Amino acid sequence: MPGFGVQGILLEQNKEPALSREIKKLKGCDECEQRLEKPVSSEPGLLAPYEIVMIAREARIIDESDGRRLWRKLAQAARESISGVVIDAMDDEPYLSSQLGPALWMQDQLSEAIGLVKRAVGANKVQIEIYKNLLDVDIKIPASIGGNRVERIGGTYPAELRARWHSSRKNTLVIGAGAMIHLWRAAYLGLVQTTCFVTVAGDCVANPGNYEVPIGMSVMRVAEQVGLIADPKRMVAGGSMTGFGLTDPERVMITPTTRGVLAFAQEFKDMGYTCIGCGRCADVCPEGLSPFFIYKAMKSKRRERLELFDADLCTGCGTCSYVCPAKLDLAQIVGACGRLVRKQNETVPERTKFSAKSE
Amino acid sequence: MNLRAQNPPHIRSRESNQTVMGDTVIAMLPLYAMAFYFYGPRSLALGAVSCLTCISADFVCQLIGRKVPNVRDYSPLITGMIIPLLLPASTRYWIVVAAGLFAICVAKQPFGGIGHNVFNPAAAGVAFAVICWPRSTFQFPVPFDPLPVTGEITARLVASPGRALAMGGVPTTDFMDMLLGNVPGPMGGTNILVLLTCLLFLAVRKTVNLCTTGAFLGGVAITAAIFPRAVMAPFPSILYEVMSGWVMITAVFLINDPVSSPKRRSARLLYGFLAGVVGIVFRHLGKFEDSLLFALLVMNASVYMIELWAEQAAHAFRRKNRELTTSANLSAPDGEDLGDTEG
Repeated sequence: MPGFGVQGILLEQNKEPALSREIKKLKGCDECEQRLEKPVSSEPGLLAPYEIVMIAREARIIDESDGRRLWRKLAQAARESISGVVIDAMDDEPYLSSQLGPALWMQDQLSEAIGLVKRAVGANKVQIEIYKNLLDVDIKIPASIGGNRVERIGGTYPAELRARWHSSRKNTLVIGAGAMIHLWRAAYLGLVQTTCFVTVAGDCVANPGNYEVPIGMSVMRVAEQVGLIADPKRMVAGGSMTGFGLTDPERVMITPTTRGVLAFAQEFKDMGYTCIGCGRCADVCPEGLSPFFIYKAMKSKRRERLELFDADLCTGCGTCSYVCPAKLDLAQIVGACGRLVRKQNETVPERTKFSAKSE
Repeated sequence: MNLRAQNPPHIRSRESNQTVMGDTVIAMLPLYAMAFYFYGPRSLALGAVSCLTCISADFVCQLIGRKVPNVRDYSPLITGMIIPLLLPASTRYWIVVAAGLFAICVAKQPFGGIGHNVFNPAAAGVAFAVICWPRSTFQFPVPFDPLPVTGEITARLVASPGRALAMGGVPTTDFMDMLLGNVPGPMGGTNILVLLTCLLFLAVRKTVNLCTTGAFLGGVAITAAIFPRAVMAPFPSILYEVMSGWVMITAVFLINDPVSSPKRRSARLLYGFLAGVVGIVFRHLGKFEDSLLFALLVMNASVYMIELWAEQAAHAFRRKNRELTTSANLSAPDGEDLGDTEG
């Protein structure tokens, strides 16, 4: 019985056969290939730190884990003394494996890129973080990649968020695995980042898997190239938990931070349920909020309570909406309340901020 | 292609209100099977009358309140199924009907219906029946003594082991019989083993949270051990208190009612424990043979306060936690424009 005794969502990355297949390139990847202006160094392993940062800058690499430019992160990390580097290959959301796939299939490139980053920021300690669910026995995860320790992060979704609180993460630089592969390509092959790794999955997709996709291709073309077996009712750009629901996938482009394209055949029907107060949302919230109370306060327009409920701490992970048996849109409401509280606290002078009054 | 925009998350768990309430209905079926085994077809007839009353009352109340009745809402069915299980199998039909009407028309719908009721409807309905007809609600038929489905009850009615405790004596009932339910008592409250199996089923399905049940039974046990109602050692006192009357059926069904119990785990622990303590205190002081349901209703009324405390504690904890974990990572410095593509 998977998930017995577990509160929350297990990341079942093996649900789609994405990890067992090699990463394929979609049509158009080779056509948009672009070379750096500078020639490739004959010995990339001996590049000076600032040269590595400049290569990352000229290759226009964007880190898919947080959307920042890689060279800025490297330069900032080199300025401030950091204790270590974390390679994020966790793939926080169910269905996605667009970081774990490249990390497992391109281990040589990854380990050489780790060498580059070590030199660039002057750090010795590097660990690769991979989500490991005890029930996943199909995925073989090596104990180390190129001599760098592979840390297995357990627990449920949001694993990335939970890992951030881990003590070993203190004062570290976090880089996504996809950005590392692109850094290797820039330094060793002289290529600008024109592609990104995307998981294409969902019950409408004929060949689910990890694909290398040119940046700027429309989501619909990606889905069509991979193959659709049915007319999708819902399409998503991004992960299953936080991605955007699309109405016009022809006009939505793949960006460097798009990590998934999902197509589903069924749509959610409104069953007319109301909240029965089961409290599951409060059980699973990784920030310890009670979405139930925030929902009730919003419905009854008692905004003075939102500060007590800490709605502004919501990270938008969507776990509460996932577990809600009444199928309420809790994440949306809590997120809106959080924005409300933040806005109120910014604009209103200190004296009139609403305070957590207990009645 | 006709796509529907939808807010994230794009996957949802398979559990719904329907499955949560359906689990509770399924968990109550073995209790009806045991009641049929002990008391014959009258138990099933009582259940059917009670369910019909509750469902039709709920339907009418929703129409009066201009709401659209939802066929997937099983809550009146659950209320209707619990009420006869808390009463003797010899209860007259109109008492069950009155309890059901009180539960739905007074304790549930005026508060706003499903999800808004402060008091557990079934507990309120049975408490109403106990206050109005205390004689017939505490006179129990003997197991394996067949009861007529209609007409006057001519079978012998006796007191349950709880009566001896309430009078300050020690019951002479065998523990094994109490465990198997072969004692006079509420129709569904005596089968301790079956109730434990139901609890196991509900816990595996994650429909009930073992925090509340555990804390409730803990509260009952601790209070019963310290203040036994008769002169006896703590351990038999605990066993008699837990296995007599409504304690086990409350621990499995009533106290885990999602609507009227707190949501946060800390609040649930406190609520369950206090319900156990107050339950035994009420048994000590109450005039009825078993006053546990009144304790439960008092605790239902105090849920708001308990939840506020828990929320304030959680608020302080979250703020402290936030202070400790911020600035642990390198974050984007202020002023860096994330959308800018030029280096």
